[in-house]
Amino acid sequence: MNKLVREALLYVFISLAVWGIISIISPEKGLVIGKVAYGSFIGAIGIIIGVFITIGLIQVWVSPQTLSKLLGKEAGWKGLLLASTIPIFIGGSLFTIFPLLKTLRNKGASIASVMAFIAAWGGKAPLLPLEITFLGWKFSVLRICLIIPFAIVIGLLGEFILEKWEHHDEGNTLIENRN
Amino acid sequence: MNVGLIYLLIASLLLLLSAVKDIQKTKEALKVTGKIALTVLPVLFFIFTLMGIISAFLSREIIASWLGSRSGVLGILIGELAGSIALMVPAAVFPFAGILLNRGASYGAMYGFIMTAILIGVTTLPVEIKIFGKKFTIVRNVLTFVLLFFMGLIFLATF
Repeated sequence: MNKLVREALLYVFISLAVWGIISIISPEKGLVIGKVAYGSFIGAIGIIIGVFITIGLIQVWVSPQTLSKLLGKEAGWKGLLLASTIPIFIGGSLFTIFPLLKTLRNKGASIASVMAFIAAWGGKAPLLPLEITFLGWKFSVLRICLIIPFAIVIGLLGEFILEKWEHHDEGNTLIENRN
Repeated sequence: MNVGLIYLLIASLLLLLSAVKDIQKTKEALKVTGKIALTVLPVLFFIFTLMGIISAFLSREIIASWLGSRSGVLGILIGELAGSIALMVPAAVFPFAGILLNRGASYGAMYGFIMTAILIGVTTLPVEIKIFGKKFTIVRNVLTFVLLFFMGLIFLATF
């Protein structure tokens, strides 16, 4: 927790320092920066706090672990389809997603499912209100809708390429030894 | 009508519902919320300042020529490259892309930027290699980058 506070203060300090220096050199530019920063902050703070609360609730009520159990049970097409949709609603960062997928993979999930999972996780539905505020609902809806076919293609194509590559290397002991 | 207020109200209602069902879990959820707020809010403060700096120093013309519809297909690639090396939490990516959009960037370029910022990361590469191996990492990242380029074309054509 202490480390978190220190990092938080560092960000605030750097921001204020840069802003301060620019304001001293050119008060006019400083004012523009202040206006834009303040405007964006006021416009987004309600949504940001709302999003944070929602992510907290999602984390405890629908934990990634629960969802991965659901995924582990289904194989084949159904598994791939679930892996391309469910992660859209999961929060977290790649750092938390990777270890989770390692467990899934050990439990028998296919390469296609793992790759599709990561791609679908990029849907970031919990952040949707924030996205709509800054980029408009048309962009946001199109992005979320396209994430499912995107995840399926990444999964299938990724698995195909990876298997070809590994198969190719198996016949080539020279490369194998070098690795 | 204030969208932020409405969303805050909905979140509060959900929180209340959660508290009625299970107070212990709700406390846990609030702890998660607090931790996220402490991690992300300072970064957002930084990003908002950066947005101000971009507005003050980079003219519409500069952004439009690099990331705008005039740069077209190349803009998507520039957006993707920037996103791949951007060290940004997803919550900060959207506001940042929003201001670039307001300053003349194209939707296609911003799509490339947002998606690569979320899905490809210089900092996550070592972790990914360690967990899934070198080949998996190369295939996933390259494929993601290439496919996102074509997705970006869809956005470029749509808006």
